[in-house]
Amino acid sequence: MAGAAPQEHTGKGGKKSLDVDFNLVPFIDLLSCCLCFLLITAVWTQIAGLQVASSGGPPDPQQKQENTIDVKLMLTEKGYSLSMAGAQIDIPKQNGPQGAAYDRKTLDEKLKTLKASLPEQSAITVQPEDAVAYSDLVEAVDACMGQQLRNVTVAPMN
Amino acid sequence: MAIVSPGKRPGIRIQGSKVQSKKFGRGKKGAYASIMLTSLIDVMTILVMFLLMNFSANGEVLYMTKDIKLPDAFHGAQLERAPVVSVSADAVTFDGKMLLQTSDLEKGDVLNVPELEDALRDEKRRYEQIHANDPDHPFKGLVNVQADKHIPFKVIKRVMFACNQSGFGNINFAALARSVSEAKTVTASNN
Repeated sequence: MAGAAPQEHTGKGGKKSLDVDFNLVPFIDLLSCCLCFLLITAVWTQIAGLQVASSGGPPDPQQKQENTIDVKLMLTEKGYSLSMAGAQIDIPKQNGPQGAAYDRKTLDEKLKTLKASLPEQSAITVQPEDAVAYSDLVEAVDACMGQQLRNVTVAPMN
Repeated sequence: MAIVSPGKRPGIRIQGSKVQSKKFGRGKKGAYASIMLTSLIDVMTILVMFLLMNFSANGEVLYMTKDIKLPDAFHGAQLERAPVVSVSADAVTFDGKMLLQTSDLEKGDVLNVPELEDALRDEKRRYEQIHANDPDHPFKGLVNVQADKHIPFKVIKRVMFACNQSGFGNINFAALARSVSEAKTVTASNN
């Protein structure tokens, strides 16, 4: 065992060995304890939270009034529909390997353009249809968060 | 033919080898077995470093069940500890207690969910009683919604309405945290 046994001193005035021996037993003990503790307390799935406001809820007192426009992102069975200041941009679904899916890439680009033209804008309302799946809603909210539109309100379409 | 003692006999080539000929030695074996600790310590150190990098002081906020498959999110924040409304394909539960069937929420056009609203109001009352003399922890109305990825918005809408009616206006949608580099990998593989 490397280093576990101390080197014997013979008392003779011979040349000292250049090798240094470490006592590895306490080191292994510490590592074993750390390993046990970390294995027991480990969180294997990292969960993220996307904070949204529900329409009709009380306004956040910390949220300051902004000079921004009303931006709405609608999720329909045809795709995304981004509307702001009277203009509307439709982003239809794309055919993929698992059927028609929402075009996240184009949505990211449109939101990026919006954020570039309105840097102070941080509020957006996401309006999904009743049949829209939770994963598609989360994807849309996530896309908004990714473009620094942090004040997301989720409201029903009708 | 020469008479030899029974047992294994090495060949001429092996007899001449310093390493191989030791197998045929008749010497007494040592009483102590030595263990190579270097590789063991290497493995343990790598494991400890990996686990330390993944260590989270918050612990598990949500109880993961096989009925609920969460969607992915790339820009989510860390989930705070708050009451959890779980929506699976079968049932709606509040803090692990089953309240109603999910199929009930898919029927009808009304928005209110009395069972969930009552449970949330009780939770709010309990929190306010516990923190009555604690101004550092005011009621923030935070609730975590943990729903399966295939649940339609019609159900989520009613859950959100119930939360709103009970004073829980800050809703956190739970999702699996993914990094942006993973998103690029997925996009590249799809293309």
